[in-house]
Amino acid sequence: MSDQFEPSILAFLCNWCSYAGADLAGTSRLQYPPNVRIIRVMCSGRVNPSFVLNALQQGIDGVIIGGCYPGECHYTQGNYLTRRRITLLKRLLEYVGIDPRRVQMTWVSASEGGKFAEVMKKATEEIRKLGPMNQIKRSNEW
Amino acid sequence: MVEGAELQQEIEKIFDTSDVQYIIGYSTDTGGFIRIPFFAKQKQDVAHLIFSPFCVNNLAMYLKQYEGSGKIGIVVKGCDCRSVIQLITEKRIARENLVIIGISCGGVIDQKKLQKKYPTIDRSIEVMEKDDDFIFIMKGEHHQIPKKELVLEKCLHCENPTPLIYDVLLGEKKQSYGSERYSDVRQFEEKSLSEKWKFWETQFNRCIRCYACRNICPVCYCTECSAEQLNPQWLRRSVTLSENTVWHLTRAFHVAGRCTGCGECERVCPMNIPLMLLNRKILKEVKDLFEYTPGISVDETPLLTAYKPDDPEDCIS
Repeated sequence: MSDQFEPSILAFLCNWCSYAGADLAGTSRLQYPPNVRIIRVMCSGRVNPSFVLNALQQGIDGVIIGGCYPGECHYTQGNYLTRRRITLLKRLLEYVGIDPRRVQMTWVSASEGGKFAEVMKKATEEIRKLGPMNQIKRSNEW
Repeated sequence: MVEGAELQQEIEKIFDTSDVQYIIGYSTDTGGFIRIPFFAKQKQDVAHLIFSPFCVNNLAMYLKQYEGSGKIGIVVKGCDCRSVIQLITEKRIARENLVIIGISCGGVIDQKKLQKKYPTIDRSIEVMEKDDDFIFIMKGEHHQIPKKELVLEKCLHCENPTPLIYDVLLGEKKQSYGSERYSDVRQFEEKSLSEKWKFWETQFNRCIRCYACRNICPVCYCTECSAEQLNPQWLRRSVTLSENTVWHLTRAFHVAGRCTGCGECERVCPMNIPLMLLNRKILKEVKDLFEYTPGISVDETPLLTAYKPDDPEDCIS
């Protein structure tokens, strides 16, 4: 065991593209860091900024949101709406002094198992360098 | 300057000609210069209505109580009118159910600045406007002070002193006093991440989570706020840095693209947290990124329910 910092990363993946991409990465036996925990959502448009903030409160070091490429959303516009939201959220986080690299968004299609593995590797390395996220970590029980 | 008599006359006319349930306006507190919101329900109440540069409240807040039937009237300044427009855009209230009494505003007085200037202020103070000055009458003495020294921060670069929509307009149409450049936000952005966090950490640590900022906000009208929701519980009750930060980020984000920058949240904050610094950042980003300004047109689609295929993509890695 090396004693380097292992970040915990939460990935919200959309059912139709990114999750299928992650699935393909798995069935193709591609390696990607085990730091990433996946939550499947029906559409990246389901991701409320509260989810992201709540994850950071609970000790997650970085959040990745994966959606379909623009124009390919199963629900026509979900990924476009999330793009606006996450752009704003990142600006807001940066403004209060939380590193915006802790929240990332990416487009992965169902056929891109390779890209999925690459994105996760890159994000994990980036967040590992940032170190543990303890600015807003929750210590209270109530 | 808008005279009380002129205002009362117009409002009487509205009571005569249309079937308004009530008209929301300003009245005098029991003693002194503080102006309070007043609901005129019948013609006899009209005598209580006034307007002066002490009328700082954003009355659009009271449209939150509107239950969806009948007509109501509201007295608005230029900035308040933007909140009303935003509520119409969001279909919170229909334009035809509103009688808007617009007041061309010459800036309103920041009570904190006034009390700083006159620590032993007499509550019977009276104020008049004269061009770019306020004239205060205290104990028979006249004091003439430039408006710039006493008005609220938002008034200094107010772009819409005259309401953008109205049924009746009182006072002469005014030009904008300047244009919003967000210099304070830009200055703050220059700091490093750790400096920013150090600043906000002290600010958020002081928050007592009284939710006054939420309750006064004209666009915070959810029947159940996520701050009080128990299942799922997004925000815990403890007043700690973690929960406070998330509360303020959630609040700021919830009003993103809807906040018109009326500044009521900062005005009512008992701990003097600079909430406008946060809100104005969003206003600026929304303008820069999406060319959107909330509350200027009733035909606009709310920012976060719309998209353009070529929106900026710098969040994508």
